[in-house]
Amino acid sequence: MDAILNPLYFAVSWVIITIHDLLSPIFSEDSGVSWSLSIIGLVIIIRIILIPLFVKQIKSQRALTALQPHMKEIQKKYKDDRQKQSEEMMKLYKEHKTNPLASCFPILAQAPIFFALFTVLNGIGRNPPVKRGVLTQEDVVSAAQAKFFGAPISDTFLGSDVTTVKIVTVFLIAFMSATTFTTQRQLMVKGMPKMDSSNNMMLQQQKIMLYLFPVIFAVSGVNFPIGVLIYWSTTNLWTWGQQYYVIKRNPTPGSPAYEELERKRKQKNGDIQSPDTGSNETVQEPEIKGQRKQPKKKKKK
Amino acid sequence: MRKIFVGIIHFYQKWISPSFAPRCKYYPSCSSYAATAIENYGIKGVAMAAWRLLRCNPWSHGGVDYVVIKEKVGAN
Repeated sequence: MDAILNPLYFAVSWVIITIHDLLSPIFSEDSGVSWSLSIIGLVIIIRIILIPLFVKQIKSQRALTALQPHMKEIQKKYKDDRQKQSEEMMKLYKEHKTNPLASCFPILAQAPIFFALFTVLNGIGRNPPVKRGVLTQEDVVSAAQAKFFGAPISDTFLGSDVTTVKIVTVFLIAFMSATTFTTQRQLMVKGMPKMDSSNNMMLQQQKIMLYLFPVIFAVSGVNFPIGVLIYWSTTNLWTWGQQYYVIKRNPTPGSPAYEELERKRKQKNGDIQSPDTGSNETVQEPEIKGQRKQPKKKKKK
Repeated sequence: MRKIFVGIIHFYQKWISPSFAPRCKYYPSCSSYAATAIENYGIKGVAMAAWRLLRCNPWSHGGVDYVVIKEKVGAN
């Protein structure tokens, strides 16, 4: 196990210490700001590496416009059989070597890094501090004292009696819940092609997110060092920002955001056609019941 | 043991995954593939599920991929 994990500790601690050393002249070596920003820097680097995957996914989503007629046909043909419909849809994607779905990879890829960071920070939080990866004794001692808004970054909610640690943890958990919620909501309200299935489903999903996610974050968050929570919060914020940008600048055809952009473009061109871009909206696909698994349906325009 | 695994997967399907946008490239999705595999093959099913998760990556084109079950075709 260590054989797999050691390189990860090495990589994570190297990135952190490199950023830290770059920032030290500005914020001083032992300052919590340099250490906190190092963790944030780690997130930024990882997310930048993952951007090409994201772009690839967006591109294949756009490519779907061309498959529109086929998709409509499938939906019509198998309107009473959701399973068959999904099956045929997947076949269609495969045939055309395009698949708009992201797969779990972008999430799973971050898990080992997350775990490595957790271990590295936990080591720092021990008494005496345990050094992992490329960290030296000095680094570890300095990092152990680094504070994020007054809370040592290696402390956990459960492992500390300090009120500041508790307050900061609660704040970060609230922040994580809020970013997850707004990200998903943004996608559902603006970013996805209008789904024909019920609003009920959406409402229920929002309820789940509203209640369940804070619970999940709280249960895990109290066991995590502040530094890991910083990582988590930053990556959530990044996800939100990335999605915001895409929805604004390059929305999925058929989504409300897309229609809005079209309308704006028309106005810009002084095109005085009817502002009724949503006219073909009424052509709704047959209703599909059930959970969430239906492939995304794109309407033209 | 199998039941615990499958139970966890069902919990995930019911409560956690609905709040994310659909993302699996395959049909059936990785989670229901995992549930079927573990129900039928036990520990080997876990490995099958893990392999399926690895195959569901940005470079794959997905497709239809059921668990191969010895005689009867899996309940879904």
